[in-house]
Amino acid sequence: MNTRTALAAGLAASAALALAGCGGKAPAAADRPENVIHVLVYGDATNKVEKQIVATYNKTATVKVVLDTIPGADYQQKLQTIINTKQAPDVFFNWGGGSIQPFVKANLLLPLDDMIKSDPGLKANFLPSVFNTAVVNGKSYGIPMRGTQPVLLFSNNKVLKEAGVTAPRTWDELLSTVRTLKSKNITPFALGGADQWPTLMWFEYLYDRVAGPDLFTKALNGDRSVWSSDDSRKALTMLRQLVDAGAFGTNFDSVKFTDGGSPALLSKGKAAFELMGSWEYSTLQEASPDFAKNDLGFTTFPTVSGGKGDPKNIVGNTNNFYSVLKNTRYPDAVRDFLKLQYSDEFVNAQLAIGNLPTTTNTEQFLGQAASPDYSRFQFNLVKDAPAFQLSWDQAYPPAAITPIHQAVQQFFNGSIDVDGFIKAMQALPPAA
Amino acid sequence: MAQLTATAPSVTAPRRVRRPGGPNVGRPGIGWALPATAFFAAFAVAPLVLVAVLSMTTWSGLGPPQYAGFANWRTLLHDPVMRTSIWLSLVLTALGVVAQTPLSVLIGVWAAGPQRNRAVLSAVYFVPLLLSSAAISVLWRALLDPNFGVPAQMQWLFGDGNLFGHRSTAIAVLVFVSTWQFTPFHTLIYQGAARNIPQVLYDAARIDGAGRVRQFFSITLPQLKNAFITSVILMVVGGLTTFDTVLILTQGGPGTDTTITAYYMYEKAFKGFDFGTGSAIALVLVVASTLISLVLVRATGYDKMRSELEGL
Repeated sequence: MNTRTALAAGLAASAALALAGCGGKAPAAADRPENVIHVLVYGDATNKVEKQIVATYNKTATVKVVLDTIPGADYQQKLQTIINTKQAPDVFFNWGGGSIQPFVKANLLLPLDDMIKSDPGLKANFLPSVFNTAVVNGKSYGIPMRGTQPVLLFSNNKVLKEAGVTAPRTWDELLSTVRTLKSKNITPFALGGADQWPTLMWFEYLYDRVAGPDLFTKALNGDRSVWSSDDSRKALTMLRQLVDAGAFGTNFDSVKFTDGGSPALLSKGKAAFELMGSWEYSTLQEASPDFAKNDLGFTTFPTVSGGKGDPKNIVGNTNNFYSVLKNTRYPDAVRDFLKLQYSDEFVNAQLAIGNLPTTTNTEQFLGQAASPDYSRFQFNLVKDAPAFQLSWDQAYPPAAITPIHQAVQQFFNGSIDVDGFIKAMQALPPAA
Repeated sequence: MAQLTATAPSVTAPRRVRRPGGPNVGRPGIGWALPATAFFAAFAVAPLVLVAVLSMTTWSGLGPPQYAGFANWRTLLHDPVMRTSIWLSLVLTALGVVAQTPLSVLIGVWAAGPQRNRAVLSAVYFVPLLLSSAAISVLWRALLDPNFGVPAQMQWLFGDGNLFGHRSTAIAVLVFVSTWQFTPFHTLIYQGAARNIPQVLYDAARIDGAGRVRQFFSITLPQLKNAFITSVILMVVGGLTTFDTVLILTQGGPGTDTTITAYYMYEKAFKGFDFGTGSAIALVLVVASTLISLVLVRATGYDKMRSELEGL
C-alpha cells in the first residue's frame, strides 16, 4: 500500500466515521432504562425545591425518579444534543413556546391531553394564561413547574420624590416624566442594552398596548404582513420618539443587566426607572438590600390611549415547564410525578425561596411568601391578565433569537429605521 | 547532504563506513509516523471531513441530517453578515499585529538586558498570560462599564463611555484587550531571540561608533527576523480564530458590528441550531486560515528558517 492509497483509505474511513457520528434513530420505549424515570432540570438555586419534590415522590413510588441537572447557560444546547439519544430524559425543564417547538416538530414529545383527560387537575389547577404558553398546535405539551416572571416597571422612589414625579400611568405621562427627569440630569430609564433582551421588553409591551396580543400571535403563525401594519409602525414610531427623547441616556449599549450594571444605575439613583423581569427584586435584594427594602417601587407598564391592547395585559416569562418525551417507558409514573407540581408542598417550597408558582392554590399561601406584598401584586397581575405574552425571543424557535436581538438593538441605536426593523422581523425563520 | 558526501575527500577506496548520525543513515520508516498520523486523522481529518459533509446538509441536531446540496453555501455567498465577518476578522487580526508587535519587540528586547529591576518587572508583565481569556474579558468588561468603570472617571477621554455601542470603539476595545493579553507571550519570544544575539555584534558596533538607537535598528531588529516571523504567524492564526474575547466582551454587537467569522459560526451552529450553515462557515475559516498561513510561511521564508548568524 503506497502513501497515496493509504491516505485515500484513511480519508474514506474518517468520512464513514463522520457519517456514523451524526443521525441515528431515536430509541424506542423498550430501550429506555428500567424502573426509573429521568427528570432533567436547569441547574440553579431552584433545584432545592425540585430535589424535595422528587424525594417526596420517591417515598411511595415503585418507579423512581432520578433528578439530573445541567447547570448554566448551556442548557438548551445540551438538551438539543441528548434529546434524540438514549441519554434523553423522560421529563425535562423548558421555557415553553419556541423552546419546545423544534421537538414537537421532530415528533419527540408526548401531547399531554390524554393525561389531562384522566386527571383534569393537570390543567385546571394552573392559571390559564400561563398554561397556554406550552400549547403548540392546539395540544398541551407542558406543565408549569417553577415561578412566573412578568416584566414590571421598577422605580427608585427616592429619586422620584426628589424630582417631584410619580410613576407614569399613561404613555403621555411617561413622556413628560422623561422630560422632567432629563432636566434634572437623571437618566429616566436604566437599560442594559448590551444584553439586548432588556431592550426587547420595550417592544413587547408597546406592541401589546398599541396593537393587542393578536399581532404577535399572527406573526408567530407565519403572517409576515402584520409587521408592516399601521399598528406596528405606530408602536415603532413611539419607541423611536422615546429613544430620541433621551429616555435611556446615550450609553445604554455599553450597559448590561447581567453584570449588575443597569440595576446599579437604579439603586444608586443615577436612573429613575427600569423595565425588567420580576427577578429584579431578588437581584436588588442581594446587590443593595437597603435600597430594595426602602426605596424600590414596582408598578405596571403605562397604558396607551387609543391602543387595542388591554391595559391589564402583561409580558415576560410565563413560567418554566416540564415536557414529556414521547418514548417514555412509564407514562403513568410521569403523570403521577407531574401531579405533584400543583401540590401544597410544591407551592410552599417555591414561595419560600422567592419563586411565585402559577397554580390556583398559590393564592392561599401568599402570606407565607418571602415578600408577601410583592408576591401578591404579581400573582394578581398574572391572574387578572387577559393575555400574558411570552417573551418574543422565547416564543420563536431558537434560530430566531439572535436576529430578534440584533434588530431591537439596531433599532434603538438608530442603525436601522422603522422599515429596517419591519424587514428584519419579516425575515425571521417561521415558527411553524 | 548528498553534495557533502560527493565532495568529501575520499582518500581510501570508496568503502562506506557506517557512522551513527552520518550522511548514510536512512530516513526513518513510515511506520514511525503512524501514531501521529492516526492521531491527526482521528482528531483533525475526521472532524474536518464531518464538517465538510455537514456543510452540505440541513441539521438542527434532531434526527438525521437532510442532504441540501450547496444551499448553505449559496446562502452564505449572499449573506452580507458573512462577508462583513471575514472583513472584520482580517481587520481585527491586522490591528492586533500592528498593535502587539512594536510593544512586544520593545519590551522583549528590554527584558533581555541585564538591568537589575528586569526580572521583577518581567514577571509583572507576564501576569496577563497566566489568566484565562474568559477572566480577562470579564475583568475588562467591568473596568470599561460606562457608569461605574474607568470611562465614568475619565469623561474627557471617553465622553459618555458608550464604548460597546459603536463599531469603531468596540473594535478598539477588542484589539486593546487582546493586546493586553497576548503581548506578554510575544514579548517572551522576542526576549529569547534577543538573548541569542551574540554580544560581539554590539561590541563591534560600539567600536564603529554606533549609538543605542543605531544598534537597535541595525543589529537587534535584523537579528530578530525569525522571531518576528514566528510571532506574526502565531498572531495571525490566533487572530483569525479569536472567539472567546468577542463572546464575552461584545457578543458580536452592537448589532452585527463585531460579528467576526468564528463568532458567526458559533452563533449559527450553537445559538440558531443550524449546524449546516455553521459547518460551512467553519470550512471557510479553515480554508482561509490555511491559505493565509501558507502565504505567510512562503513569503517570509519561514519554511527555510535560514540562520541570521552567517559568518559568525
